[in-house]
Amino acid sequence: MGTGQRRFEDRIVYGIASPTGGHRAVNFRLNAPYVQMYGIVKRFPGVLACDHVDFDVRRGELHALLGENGAGKSTLMRILYGLYQPEEGRILRDGAEVTIHSPTDAIRQGIGMIHQHFMLVDTLTVTENVALGLKSSREPLLDLGRVEAGIRELSEAYGLQIDPRAPVWTLSVGERQRVEIMKALYRGAAMLILDEPTAVLTPQEVDELFVTLGYMKENGYSLVLISHKLQEVLAISDRITVLREGRLVGTVPTEEMTRHELARMMVGRDVMLERTRDDEIDVGDVKLRLKDVRAHDVTGQPALRGVSLSVQSSEILGVAGISGNGQRELAEVIAGLRPLSGGSVEMDGMPITDWTTARRTESGLAYIPEERMHDGIVRDFAVSENLVLQEHTSEKFSNGIFLAFDYIARYSRQMIQDFYIKTPDIRTMTRNLSGGNIQRLILARELSRQPKVLVAAQPTRGIDIGAIEYIYQQLLEQRDKGMATLLISEDLDELLALCDRIAVIFEGQIMDILDRDETTAEGLGLLMAGVHPEKQ
Amino acid sequence: MLRRIRVFTLIFLLLLAGCGRGDDNGDGEAIDAEGQPFRIAIVMPSSTTDIAWSQSMFDSLVAVQTEMGGEDALKIAYSEGMFRVTDASAAIRDYASEGFDLVIAHGAQYGNSVFEVAADFTETSFAWGTSSDTGADRGIENVFAYGAVANEGGYVNGVVAAMLSQNDVIGVIGPVAGDAKLYIDGFVRGVTEVKPDAQVNISYTGSFSDTTLAAEAAHVHIQAGADVLTGSAQQVVGAIGVANENGVAWLGTQSDQISLGPDVVVTNQIYNWANVVADMISKIEKGELGGTAYRLTFANDGLRLEFNENIEIADEVKEAARTAIEDIKSGAVDPVLLEEDE
Amino acid sequence: MIDELFTISTLIGILHSCVRLATPYLFASLGETFGQRSGVLNLGVDGIMLMGAFFAFYAVFEGHNLWVGVLVAIAVGILMGLLKAFVSVTMQSLQGISGIGLYLFGLGLSSLLFKTLIGSVEGVSGFRQLAIPLLSDIPGLGHILFNHNALVYLAYIMVPVSWFVINRTTLGLKIRAVGHNPEAADTLGVSVNGVRYTTLMIGGALAAVAGASLSIGLQNVFQENMTNGLGFIAVALVYFGSWRTVGVLGGSLLFSLVNALQLWVQALDIPVPSEVAVMMPYIMTIVVLAFTARQIQKPAALARSYERGE
Repeated sequence: MGTGQRRFEDRIVYGIASPTGGHRAVNFRLNAPYVQMYGIVKRFPGVLACDHVDFDVRRGELHALLGENGAGKSTLMRILYGLYQPEEGRILRDGAEVTIHSPTDAIRQGIGMIHQHFMLVDTLTVTENVALGLKSSREPLLDLGRVEAGIRELSEAYGLQIDPRAPVWTLSVGERQRVEIMKALYRGAAMLILDEPTAVLTPQEVDELFVTLGYMKENGYSLVLISHKLQEVLAISDRITVLREGRLVGTVPTEEMTRHELARMMVGRDVMLERTRDDEIDVGDVKLRLKDVRAHDVTGQPALRGVSLSVQSSEILGVAGISGNGQRELAEVIAGLRPLSGGSVEMDGMPITDWTTARRTESGLAYIPEERMHDGIVRDFAVSENLVLQEHTSEKFSNGIFLAFDYIARYSRQMIQDFYIKTPDIRTMTRNLSGGNIQRLILARELSRQPKVLVAAQPTRGIDIGAIEYIYQQLLEQRDKGMATLLISEDLDELLALCDRIAVIFEGQIMDILDRDETTAEGLGLLMAGVHPEKQ
Repeated sequence: MLRRIRVFTLIFLLLLAGCGRGDDNGDGEAIDAEGQPFRIAIVMPSSTTDIAWSQSMFDSLVAVQTEMGGEDALKIAYSEGMFRVTDASAAIRDYASEGFDLVIAHGAQYGNSVFEVAADFTETSFAWGTSSDTGADRGIENVFAYGAVANEGGYVNGVVAAMLSQNDVIGVIGPVAGDAKLYIDGFVRGVTEVKPDAQVNISYTGSFSDTTLAAEAAHVHIQAGADVLTGSAQQVVGAIGVANENGVAWLGTQSDQISLGPDVVVTNQIYNWANVVADMISKIEKGELGGTAYRLTFANDGLRLEFNENIEIADEVKEAARTAIEDIKSGAVDPVLLEEDE
Repeated sequence: MIDELFTISTLIGILHSCVRLATPYLFASLGETFGQRSGVLNLGVDGIMLMGAFFAFYAVFEGHNLWVGVLVAIAVGILMGLLKAFVSVTMQSLQGISGIGLYLFGLGLSSLLFKTLIGSVEGVSGFRQLAIPLLSDIPGLGHILFNHNALVYLAYIMVPVSWFVINRTTLGLKIRAVGHNPEAADTLGVSVNGVRYTTLMIGGALAAVAGASLSIGLQNVFQENMTNGLGFIAVALVYFGSWRTVGVLGGSLLFSLVNALQLWVQALDIPVPSEVAVMMPYIMTIVVLAFTARQIQKPAALARSYERGE
């Protein structure tokens, strides 16, 4: 009989009895700190990731850890989970000092972590994923029956609907996340760290997750929610700790905070995310039109199944949807990177279906790809080279077959200044820039050409709030100048803030196109899940 | 970076350990102009202990060395296991540039390499076989060629096989079709001479060195009724093992194979290159660097048939073998199979 | 003459050959399956086989029991597996290259040891044919399946044993997880390197026994490079079998069957050019590989070394 199994049994004694809160865990004091971290210091080459940070989580508390990318929040939690070793600082659990050298140590201390990128083995079943690494009751043989029974019990208790026998590759993103939570619960975790758990979920799935987290809290679990979404942090947390550039800004009770105050703590200055749109500007001619467009994905499966939409000048059309419903193919079809299997694409009234990417670019199409590190730039090119990548043959940048280096250098410096790209030099390798700065670089390259049509796929994913603010500002400015924009995003707040109309894509089809004014996040969520309220 | 260097060092060491290159003259012994030993280098496709083609030449070289008075008189350097022609080609060139007196490329597959290097090193003498081509028609004068008239011993082994077989089924295990043709043709001819109705089953493994398949081929022949087996190339060690296990007679060729099957190996046709090598040395010392094509026959003592002394062999079998050898020497029998050769 | 091929006794002969020929392939490719399922490609199988073949032979040559020979081979195989693990897992060198290095090392060292310790090709008395009572009396099938030497039986026993270890034990679960998503396994406290060391040692042991099955089972002799590249075919058979033990069994049998068939075709003087007959197994391999290119089970982390926090 292994230790993991024994701990599981112990936990059942106090944990599962009633998920609705009628019976709480008996052997803890609510609000007593479960884990405390003092003076944590962690350095990476060239970066001080955590600079004497203090942090604590109480039992039965949901504590949000808020900060921009690179603020050190993930690093701090990875230290707690044993993935990194701190250079300085102490960690206490239930008041006693502990050292955590590995995830195994963390699990032994009752600490579980749900990573942003799920740590699941696709080819294995749910039960096998849960059993992995645990001592079996019949060592060296597996005892999957017993694990499966445990999973069923837990999934009932916390509203975690999963089929224990399903292979993980058949599961949706939301289900996979539940498997991750299940793994931690089964291991007897008393505390869960959730790293940006809502980033990949539909609004409905987010609701379900929050319900589960609520049950867990009531049963005495300590929860840490790493996030940069102000809205959700305000909605469900008890306390909030804000980090900025590796330093602790402060820990505050949630009920005392507003969205605005939190944003200021995060960025260190006032931030305007709700841009007031200039409604004076009227939309004009149709600049981009898709008629019954069909295309296949890389595996040859149909990905777009008859998409029709149009974008007018001075308009931002949003495309909402859960990742993998054809957004990527939609962007590629318009950019000319993926062949159509049916339908047509028109730009400025001209059929461009058979045009090469280069010809589309010359005729006024700009494209911000989803995979900016792969498709948007050449990682090992200098900043200046990436800036002129698309137009390097144009007269501006070349003399005959030679590049006009002086002009390119002057031009690059101008761009770096205009678009606030933070780089040591124009000759710096692009891969050394942060995500936000790479996105600024791409934006500079694409927008400086004064395009007629912009296709932007997930332009703010993984970018810190300061850069997001700047990108929003640029998109709106260009809109006011007459550019037609197709904005593909999974962030509903973003779409609602920027778009004039929002199309919802589901399984390669447009479910509906709504005016922004008649749209709510909930309504969009249903459409994104493939449910059409009016057609039911 | 440091890790990468460490790894490369390790791989390099592994590679070093993997490259077997025997060299008998490793010590930096000073070689003075007059009393210097004769130096021979040989490149072989298989190992010096293959009990077949390569070993026959290596044993002969060692015999010549002993005859001449040891290492002070004759130095031998060798590269074995050179089954890749490109490797062999590089080795041949290396030896030539190191100033060896005679470089032997012991394989028909090395022909092109030999002529290419020989054209660049006209002061060095080369030899290769199996072949009769010394390159004379291309104006090359520093290449010897050699070969064994293997059908002679094949014929004698065939006579012995026919007399030993009780089932009148005999199995032959060849390497690559064509290569051992001479031996096998002579063998079949010998069998039919004694027992025209005997069945000779021939199978090729497609490789010189696939001992596993050769062993299985022996199994197959035995199951198909064969009670006498023969075969050629270094692959036969596996087959002799099987013959041994099943108590089936084995007739060897190229080298002495009795050690492998003390109870089942009846005869061996042995290639003795000693005379050929000795003659090449004397020609080279006289300044004649090539041009001769040697052939091993019973008549010139290059081929020998040896009986296994440890097992009892009926006198009439031995007698028949001796008669066959005499007939070949005298020309009374021409052990070839194909009509058009006559 | 074609008719001769289809007589009952010939068919039995062919299948008997096939079952025996598959032995070294089975040991080696089952071993390689363990390594590959955990994400390590070991191209050095042939070198390990040669070391196993040599040491088993040497032990028997020196008068030890045959099973002592097998145990010595296993020990040497484990050491070779450790060497591979050290280079590929700890030092994280490219798996393909380090495998070739291991092959050359095994080839060179076994040749060197053979030259120094034995010197000339010698025979030993290896495992004898061991007819299983009763079962071997079954007409036809008895001879095909139950009239072989002990190592042949052991090879077939290893098929369900390997399947069981991979699919029904905690170690097997770790192996499958590490081969597919080492990061995930690591976060659950599974030692990725530990698992890979283990599978490489298992693979080394099995490859060494594959070598022993040649030198003291099927041929009873040791010769330099006697495996003749058989270990590389074994690696291909793992792909062929889609990383499943049953697939590996099928691949080994199919490859051996075609080999047995071609030997019989030639021995019975059926009019097929011997060049064509010799090519049959390889043509067959290519054809089957072309039609089984689905690769569903391919371990996603195959041939990738793992470093935490990548």
